[in-house]
Amino acid sequence: MNIHGSVVSAREIVLSTEGVAAGYGGDDIISNISVAVGKGSIFTVIGPNGSGKSTFIKVLAGLLPARTGEIRLGAMSIARLSAPQRVAAGLAYVPQEFNIFTNLTVGENLRVSTEFLERERRASAEQRERVLAIFPEVAGRLGLRAGYLSGGQRQMLAFACAMMAAPTVLLLDEPSAGLSPKFVAEIFDKVKSVNAMGVTVVMIEQNVKEALRIADIVLVLVNGATRLLATPDDILTKHDLHKLYLG
Amino acid sequence: MTAQVILNGLVTGMVVALPAVALTLIYGILKFPNFAIGAMLTVGAYLALALNVYLSLPVLYAAAIGAAAFAVVAVGIDQAVFRPLRERSAITLLVASMGVSFVLENIVRFIFGNGARSFELPLARPKLVFGLRINNEQIFTAVAVIAAMTAVYVVLRHTPLGRAMRAVSDNPALAAARGIDRERIVRWTWVIAGLLTAAAGVLVGMDRAIDPLLGWNYIVTVFAASILGGLGNPVGAVLGALTVGVVEETSTLLIAPNYRQVVSFCAIALLLLLRPQGLLGVQRIKK
Repeated sequence: MNIHGSVVSAREIVLSTEGVAAGYGGDDIISNISVAVGKGSIFTVIGPNGSGKSTFIKVLAGLLPARTGEIRLGAMSIARLSAPQRVAAGLAYVPQEFNIFTNLTVGENLRVSTEFLERERRASAEQRERVLAIFPEVAGRLGLRAGYLSGGQRQMLAFACAMMAAPTVLLLDEPSAGLSPKFVAEIFDKVKSVNAMGVTVVMIEQNVKEALRIADIVLVLVNGATRLLATPDDILTKHDLHKLYLG
Repeated sequence: MTAQVILNGLVTGMVVALPAVALTLIYGILKFPNFAIGAMLTVGAYLALALNVYLSLPVLYAAAIGAAAFAVVAVGIDQAVFRPLRERSAITLLVASMGVSFVLENIVRFIFGNGARSFELPLARPKLVFGLRINNEQIFTAVAVIAAMTAVYVVLRHTPLGRAMRAVSDNPALAAARGIDRERIVRWTWVIAGLLTAAAGVLVGMDRAIDPLLGWNYIVTVFAASILGGLGNPVGAVLGALTVGVVEETSTLLIAPNYRQVVSFCAIALLLLLRPQGLLGVQRIKK
């Protein structure tokens, strides 16, 4: 059963994919993924383990090449751009793990996040202030070596680093993974704060309840293919997630 | 006598510190032990020799121009040999660096012959300071190495390039996701490594004869210094180099000078048994 939903967004499309396929080694892990993410929205990707969620977001970030298909940021094709070029184009990515430089200080992590970008994307003093205001737990530890931070603090720092480049689209790979409930709530608050600043968020989330609560549009990936693309309301009222996950 | 030996050891250690830092920087960024580090010293010495003897430039100018030229050569070697192998294992790159080592050494033999040469340096008597004999070359070495190490430290700690180098060394995939172009950082790393090794080659050449095996004789000592400090850690490499220099030199009080490299071998062996992460290894946080 394939329930290819389609959601026509009233918003301007800021990030889109058409028929994207990618994988490691011989087989494709994801295939034929076509989505359109509206400007200023929160787009969450959910699905069972091994469904290709992280692969999809790595393809968007440019860390894994798309074998076929097109990826656009606004009107610009970015499928052939390297990861650093995509950051320069306005796409920031926060990996799930190993997402900070542990041997650099917190302050150095923030600085190095934009120092090698084109001049217009380098963090201005105002952007730095804005980011530090959203992440006060980071602002208070600038001189500390990042490897000494707790799991939740590391996630906040990774998030803050990505925001330094003032991205148009923020890609988050399971920001709440492995965190205590207190930090999970804080992370989702930060996602909302960042989104309120006008940043479009594409986020993988295992916590389906939270994902549906926060999202404007949800992509359900199963076995590397689009199972459903719908609004959270539609999913809650018209579909059974267990059935979607199990096929 | 002991104080004199320790002083000599410190100066030897200072010379070793330059290639040890170069080795550790390349290891940090490219994750392979560059066996060609010795041959890089040799080529650096010969480039300066050519400028000094054939163009009659003073050693200081010859060294500066030679080091700058060799920095370009080092980037060229990386582009021609190591770049195509970038994603291969450390063993593949190590073997490739052995090949580079032999090729460089034989180019030097082909152009300059096998005989020993020396820089044209004014002769000067050693100075006596508190009973210690200090010659001009030792003073020059100390000043040059302290300046070079200070410069490397400032670059690594306080410049965007240094932060990016440490970031790439720490987590290359994340560095890419943060917009850092790894290849650009790699090129700069070879520039720094080229400058440091060429300078070391000149300093060694000022202290003894220049021959095609000049750098080869230092390989074990340089590796011992880098491993002692914890590969990938520049401050550790400097401390390791000073330690190895003093210990090697002091050992000559007990054993024949020809066997001094045995001490470096023993240091590597002991360290790998007792403290494989190196002296400063604990300071690096893996996760």
